[in-house]
Amino acid sequence: MIKVADLTVKMGGRSILNDINLEIPHGHWTCLVGPNGAGKTTFLKVLLGVREYSGSLQDNGVEVYRNHKRNVAFVPQSPEIPTGMTVAEYVALGRSKVDGWGNETAKSRQFIEEVLIQTQLYGMHQRHVAQLSGGEMQRALIARALAQEPQLILLDEPTSALDLHHQISVLNNIEDLKSRGVTVISTMHDITLAAMYAERIVVMHEGKTLLDGIASDVIHSAELRTAFDNRINVYTLDSGRPVIVASKDESKN
Amino acid sequence: MKKTSAGIGQIWNWKITASCALILLAIGTLAISLGPIHLGFFDILKTLIGAHGLEGQDRTVLLDLRLPRALLAALVGAALATSGAVYQTVFRNPLADPYLLGAASGAGLGATIAITNSGGNIYGWLPIFSFVGATLAVMTSFFISGRFFAEPNTLLLSGIAVGSFATAVQTYLQQRHSNALRPVYNWILGELTVANWSIVSWSSIYILSSILVLVTVSKKLDGLLLSDEESFSLGIDPNRLRMIAVAAATLATATAVSASGLIGFVGIVVPHLVRGVTHRVTNRSLATIALVGASFLVLADLGARTILSPAELPIGVITAFVGAPFFLFVLRTRRVSHQ
Repeated sequence: MIKVADLTVKMGGRSILNDINLEIPHGHWTCLVGPNGAGKTTFLKVLLGVREYSGSLQDNGVEVYRNHKRNVAFVPQSPEIPTGMTVAEYVALGRSKVDGWGNETAKSRQFIEEVLIQTQLYGMHQRHVAQLSGGEMQRALIARALAQEPQLILLDEPTSALDLHHQISVLNNIEDLKSRGVTVISTMHDITLAAMYAERIVVMHEGKTLLDGIASDVIHSAELRTAFDNRINVYTLDSGRPVIVASKDESKN
Repeated sequence: MKKTSAGIGQIWNWKITASCALILLAIGTLAISLGPIHLGFFDILKTLIGAHGLEGQDRTVLLDLRLPRALLAALVGAALATSGAVYQTVFRNPLADPYLLGAASGAGLGATIAITNSGGNIYGWLPIFSFVGATLAVMTSFFISGRFFAEPNTLLLSGIAVGSFATAVQTYLQQRHSNALRPVYNWILGELTVANWSIVSWSSIYILSSILVLVTVSKKLDGLLLSDEESFSLGIDPNRLRMIAVAAATLATATAVSASGLIGFVGIVVPHLVRGVTHRVTNRSLATIALVGASFLVLADLGARTILSPAELPIGVITAFVGAPFFLFVLRTRRVSHQ
């Protein structure tokens, strides 16, 4: 269990996260949703352990700040793309936490191959990461995370800038990680997709959590509408699946 | 998608490193045997292992001139190539070179102060002054840029500003002491003619220990090619690693510059050559880059002292003659790969 108590993060005197109290269960997919500037990315970085905070954030009873003992994979929204690095080299970096830097075993290399096959990157593993398309790069990031065999994976907007086809393929890869027992925490702008894949949703607004709970409950909540200034509509398809769309501001016409 | 029998293979093949060590040995032997006086391979070998070998003038040429000079070239080449590769990784900039943070201009100013105030004994003080100048310039760049690596671009810009300031002071001093123009100019072009066992011994301590530190952390350096959050998630403390890497690379550069002047392009040409030939950007190649850097400069120095023999070409002319076209080639291929 990840326990967040009275968590506050300040930057330049301004509160980015303000007095957050939350419990995130392991083994599930939790999605952080909310408008831009709500503090979702900062919260992910705090969960990773790279951001200082006041209050407490414990993962299985241990404070996370600068804690290198945890094995947490991080998939950023805008990754740094190393010039000239091949896909195989890039994915192999994920083994550093398991084998030690540059010491991957023959077994590890076999594991990397399996990960490349699983993420449909095997045929292009000698290509440079800089030459990959947006969807392929996202899969390379997921492949590196798979190679890391983490306990927890944090993903910042894993589907933004991807077409529908690639969105589904990346989300399926993440779901596969979860089926291996990995805890998934992601941010996502597309709330419909969040409701489709995540089991739990946390609604964030202006550095605070408005609501957290089971996805189907949160989707129909008033707090979700409040977070988006009542500018969203929630429809339910015949299949029972919710669809969230932005409502057009009629007063502007 | 099916696996091929080849698989993903090794990320780095250490046989390449071993081959480069043998190439360095071969080039080194060639360099100490060639010159106005030709020395035979077996005579050299016998002399070095203490058996009955070369005598008289030949022995002096080998032990007091060519051997220290080849060793210094190897040390300086290894230092510049390794530092260049490390700076390129730390700043995530393929065109970064060892002189990026003002080390060259600082050393230039230090050398100019030594030359204009030496009263004849130039080479006694020159290495010390240029070493202090290079180190001070890099430290000033860090001091001006504020928090350590909080903003790498600010650090680069402060390096440029510190470098420009040092060059301005250097130019002023040269104008005031016109008799210093020629020695300063020679030093800027780089020279290994001053090599002796004293320079080889003190520079080898700093350079070899810096390279040892860098090779030790080389596998981890790959993490610095990613964002700080990603490298942290892979078990690295990025700022601590950068500090170790930059300190060791700066010490190696400052030592190289103070021992042999400004030898350009080695720090850019050699890392890109190794990466280009092996198709690998991993820093596991750092030991190989050091060995190729050493071979490159030993070979360049052989050219410098034999092409216009008995006159000498400044070694910086040779490295720039090869380096400048190569630099343009790198720029061009980078542009093409981004299209």
